[in-house]
Amino acid sequence: MIVLKDVTKQYKAQPALYNINLHIRPGEFVFLTGPSGAGKSTLMKMLYMEERPTRGTILIGGINIGNLHPNKIPNLRRCMGIVFQDYKLLQNHSVYDNIAYVVRTLGISSREIQARVHSALKVVGLDDKAKSKPTELSGGEQQRVSIARAIVNGPPLLIADEPTGNLDPSNSKEIMKILEEVNQRGITVLVSTHDSNMVNYLRKRVVALRDGQIEKDQEAGTYYG
Amino acid sequence: MAKGKTRQKLKQTVKSHIPKDWLTEVRIFYRMLIETGKGISQAGLINIAIVTTMAAILTIFGCLFRSSLSFQTIVNDLGGTLQISAYLDDSADTKAVISRVKDIPHVKSVKFIPKDRSWNNLKKDIDVPDVENPLPDTLHVKVDVVNNLDDVLFKIKEINGVNDTSYAKDWVKKLQTLNKVSHTVTFVVVIFACLLTLIIINNTIQLVIQCRKEEIEIMRLMGVSNWYIKFPLVLQGAIYGLLGAIISIFPINAIQVYLFKLHDFFMIPPFVLAQPIVIFSVLAVGVMFSAGGSLICIKKHLRV
Repeated sequence: MIVLKDVTKQYKAQPALYNINLHIRPGEFVFLTGPSGAGKSTLMKMLYMEERPTRGTILIGGINIGNLHPNKIPNLRRCMGIVFQDYKLLQNHSVYDNIAYVVRTLGISSREIQARVHSALKVVGLDDKAKSKPTELSGGEQQRVSIARAIVNGPPLLIADEPTGNLDPSNSKEIMKILEEVNQRGITVLVSTHDSNMVNYLRKRVVALRDGQIEKDQEAGTYYG
Repeated sequence: MAKGKTRQKLKQTVKSHIPKDWLTEVRIFYRMLIETGKGISQAGLINIAIVTTMAAILTIFGCLFRSSLSFQTIVNDLGGTLQISAYLDDSADTKAVISRVKDIPHVKSVKFIPKDRSWNNLKKDIDVPDVENPLPDTLHVKVDVVNNLDDVLFKIKEINGVNDTSYAKDWVKKLQTLNKVSHTVTFVVVIFACLLTLIIINNTIQLVIQCRKEEIEIMRLMGVSNWYIKFPLVLQGAIYGLLGAIISIFPINAIQVYLFKLHDFFMIPPFVLAQPIVIFSVLAVGVMFSAGGSLICIKKHLRV
């Protein structure tokens, strides 16, 4: 699904990532851990092409995205769901509109959009909040809307950058459960986090970064293990 | 309820006549139009300020352009009435000289005045003593536009058999200067109007982008295509330009009435296509430069 070969990202003189080699298979659930400044977000940003690698190759579904023409980036992003720490929801739009927004731009019929949005809302357990505004929801609920928006297109890959960073332990657990359920539907999930409790609780593959390099890559790993 | 059912039925009928791929494109286009509408409604009262400013600029441009066209018609027509007089040698082969003059580019007409007729006309006008006719045969040469007078005159002088030439030099010089001034003013105004249109729309769309920056950023990250983001903003700019241009047509039409009076005074018919050309130019400048201004602004402020 995702292959990184000798990937280096350098900001001016300082390398943020150095010679990263990583292979994530389809259907896997992977935690990307490490302290602040380890390079987690940089790696995530390179996967959804917000940043380009300085050196090395990144393959997603066999496509070398390092050479991707800027006009093709939206196509790539539509093939993956992205979840952000700050939710990135449109505050003046309803939950339904937030989720339907991207699907609408694809020229899909209103009926199909409705079906897709309700199905996504069901997965995150918010089918009764379709008409609410994000401001009327708790942080945990807003993050669930964000996950619903990420999965509404049925992407094969979901990238979540610190999805529990702004949440309390109870909501964090809820979000992780949803991500696990999404993964069980066959979607590859890559989550960057420094929430040790969640990593230890789910016991999935853990790729730990430190100073821009992979410190450990452990199947069914723990945060400190 | 019944209204809703009728609408649904109509929708289905329309859909059944559109091929599937087309339907997708139509939906995308329709949704982009909705986005444009949202953008305009979000701008609120600023819309009025923008359209008024655009209308003012395009009015100045249109009125000056329209006046310049009328002025040009008058100048050219007056130039056409001016003629060169070429005086022939007694020994000149008249037919050959006329033929050579006719061959000169920009010569509109050549009229031969025999020396006897000139002498008789002169005798009618003034009391002249009964002497032998001292006047030469004369050619009256008219050119197409006033600016070509000098050129044609130079070529006539070179023809064998032409002894001397004359024309209303002062008049020609004045008309040529006026023509040049009117051209320069129109050119400067066109450039000025285009630049102002670009700057105003650029700033307006910048405001819209600033208001919607977060929304656009989210759209971008969620994989909304670049054109889906750009098109509504470009269209919004173009709509401002179009509305400004439509409003400016009213004062341009008003100025036409006064220009017709000027044409009547000089007894020169106006250029028939002047008004359509001006209206088309105003609409084209308004729409194209407004859309261009939006596009420049998007390129500057958004990573799409």
